[in-house]
Amino acid sequence: MRPALDRLQQIEHHLLGRPSAAAAAQWQVQLLTDPKLAADAQAQRQLYDALRQAGRRQLRQELDRIHERLERQSRRRGWLRAATDGLRRLLPGRPQPDQ
Amino acid sequence: METSASLRHALLTSREQTLTRIYQRTFPMVRRHVQQHGGTPPDAKDVFQDALVVFYEKATTEGFVLSASVSTYLVGICRNLWRQELSRRQRLPLTGITDAHAQVPGETEPAEERDTLPLLDYVEQLGERCKSILLAFYYFQQPLEQIAAANQYQSVRSATVQKFKCLERLRKSVRTAVALTLAR
Repeated sequence: MRPALDRLQQIEHHLLGRPSAAAAAQWQVQLLTDPKLAADAQAQRQLYDALRQAGRRQLRQELDRIHERLERQSRRRGWLRAATDGLRRLLPGRPQPDQ
Repeated sequence: METSASLRHALLTSREQTLTRIYQRTFPMVRRHVQQHGGTPPDAKDVFQDALVVFYEKATTEGFVLSASVSTYLVGICRNLWRQELSRRQRLPLTGITDAHAQVPGETEPAEERDTLPLLDYVEQLGERCKSILLAFYYFQQPLEQIAAANQYQSVRSATVQKFKCLERLRKSVRTAVALTLAR
């Protein structure tokens, strides 16, 4: 990977992974030798926050679609029941299935 | 009863189908509870969806152990959320649920949300492919193998590279925006 992408990956490991004690110590050393590292890590943390919010928004949209689909299905079932109730009234002599 | 591992697997590999099944089974119970306790069907929907978001985030975390059935667990979360919402309404009688449900309970504070709202919009502007890869990996917790297959990448490695390219693109557009705001 390009060095810029390697850096993103390294910061990601620090922020999202479970760094070992040795890795954490090395990170502290790097913070001292690389003056931009802290700011870059902070910026990357914001990206992950934004992705979490965008993910929640997308999940809510998916749930809304599921909700609407299930509502439509149950309305259709309700309509079907009403229609067959009418039919049953028209055919009074017909034995019910459970009789 | 579904084990936590098989539930996690089902959520990761067939999210829509799994969530539909959970929705179908559990929402009627939540709607009944909320309606019996002074709420409307839209209130029930909001509470239930908030609970499902919390549930998804927990259930896809490695090491999560479900101690009851999915329905029992979700109904429990919903009862708590609805109790909180009722007491919030007693304190602030004229506000609707929309103000509260914008934030997932116990997570972001409104002030923090205001700060990060523009960043959220940059995710939307990324383009469909990058947005979908980044959300699949970072939010929906899908394994890279699955992301690689869904996007026709030859290997996990090329999917990893692509993921970081997308993350870089997001960072660049955010950085440009921050620089513009500062220059103003």
